[in-house]
Amino acid sequence: MSTTPQAALSFGVLLRVFLRSLFLQASWNPKGMQNLGLAYAVYPALMALYPRGPAREEAVRRHLVFFNTHPYVAAAIVGGVINHEERIARGEETPDKVVAFKAALMGPLAALGDGFFWLSLKPATGAVSAALVPLLGVWAVPLFLVLYNLVHLLLRVRLYWLGLTLGDRLVEAVARANLPARGARLRAVAAASAGGVAAWLAVSFGANAGGLYAPLLAAGCLALGVASYVLVSRRVPNYVVLYVAAGLACVAGAFL
Amino acid sequence: MSVVWTHVALAGLWGGLVALERKAFLQAMLSRPLVAATVMGALLDDVASGLAIGMLLELFFLGTANLGAALPENDTLAATGASAAAATLSAATGASSTPAIWSLAVLLFIGLGRVGRRGDRLLEGYTARLARVALASAEAGNLTRAMRQNLWGMWPHFAVYGALTALCALLGFFIEPLLQALPPVVVRGLAWAWPAMASVAAAIAAQGSHARRAPLYAGLGAAVVTVSVVCVLLLEDR
Repeated sequence: MSTTPQAALSFGVLLRVFLRSLFLQASWNPKGMQNLGLAYAVYPALMALYPRGPAREEAVRRHLVFFNTHPYVAAAIVGGVINHEERIARGEETPDKVVAFKAALMGPLAALGDGFFWLSLKPATGAVSAALVPLLGVWAVPLFLVLYNLVHLLLRVRLYWLGLTLGDRLVEAVARANLPARGARLRAVAAASAGGVAAWLAVSFGANAGGLYAPLLAAGCLALGVASYVLVSRRVPNYVVLYVAAGLACVAGAFL
Repeated sequence: MSVVWTHVALAGLWGGLVALERKAFLQAMLSRPLVAATVMGALLDDVASGLAIGMLLELFFLGTANLGAALPENDTLAATGASAAAATLSAATGASSTPAIWSLAVLLFIGLGRVGRRGDRLLEGYTARLARVALASAEAGNLTRAMRQNLWGMWPHFAVYGALTALCALLGFFIEPLLQALPPVVVRGLAWAWPAMASVAAAIAAQGSHARRAPLYAGLGAAVVTVSVVCVLLLEDR
């Protein structure tokens, strides 16, 4: 473990910081939220930048304050923190700059990440893959992982790099990615895929049941889907709708 | 009925690993129901159960998201628990898995999503204690100890949810006599419940997609698929 500060961080240290940022939420807690995770991630850089003693302790303490953002987009902030800490270590800026940088960015980036990853990319890839289960079978699972993680991992690495190289200016670069508009398109794909899989289930159920009832069963299953949509939109709990549908189908299956 | 303990152990191990991935490390979606349940099925020699349950629960929980401090239902625990129970249940019957088994497993174990949310909330008390230890250690100048606290936060998730999933796998063996005791009409009813529940889950997914014109897009998707499948069926009949 080095006790001599470095002028610039090595690739090895930067890689360690990135890999440790994957543990950002390991000790998520209600008071400081991701504070332990952030301090844990940037610690190798702080060890390289500051000599053992009060300077390093002070640097660690300023990253143990409240911190919370989206875990993927946090890579940009982690990179930005390293960028600021390098300048602080060189005496080019005061420590309050890095604290202000985190405070200013964590909220907006959390909203951006939640909207794109949690509310758009995840539902879209999940619904498309679930809809492809009838066609691809078990191969729908690796497809889901590849589709999701191509975007997730590439963006995570890119955001970290933007933070490292641009510091405060990363905001403009992130804005140029236009994630909200892409998210809206992905949500439409999710809805269309969900509708498609509902229709496939209904029609194939009718076809498998066969006989005179086949069109009726398919139509009934589709009607159940539409009714469920309306009920859930009117805030009837999902579980209630699911159990009622199962009960109705059980009765129909037992007596038809 | 004989319990296959290797299945119980494998279920616990995979349940614990995906619980870690969901909350503490990477979050590359290995913990999503479609993946977690299918792999569970593969580990317990019943891919069909895992895939079917994974697809249904993926759709059912599609709209859930961990936003800020709000905790969503634990879709991973519901998926690993239900798929483990379905796999051991069909292993206990000695036959291949059926839609009736999938329905029974989902109806009995989908509530684990809420149990898991409660568990997540309780585990936050432990991580709050770790945060206090880390702050005190940093104040005292013991930075290595302060940083180590972050990793200690992961293991309760692995242990608690691994144990719960193993318990579900064990329960699957004990539910088998119950399934055998059901009258044939009820088993037929459970088989019909499968496509009905999957349709409902898909409708919930469309609603949970957060799309601005979700009914329009879902309707378009349904229309295209209906026409395509009907055309294929008619061509096959010729």
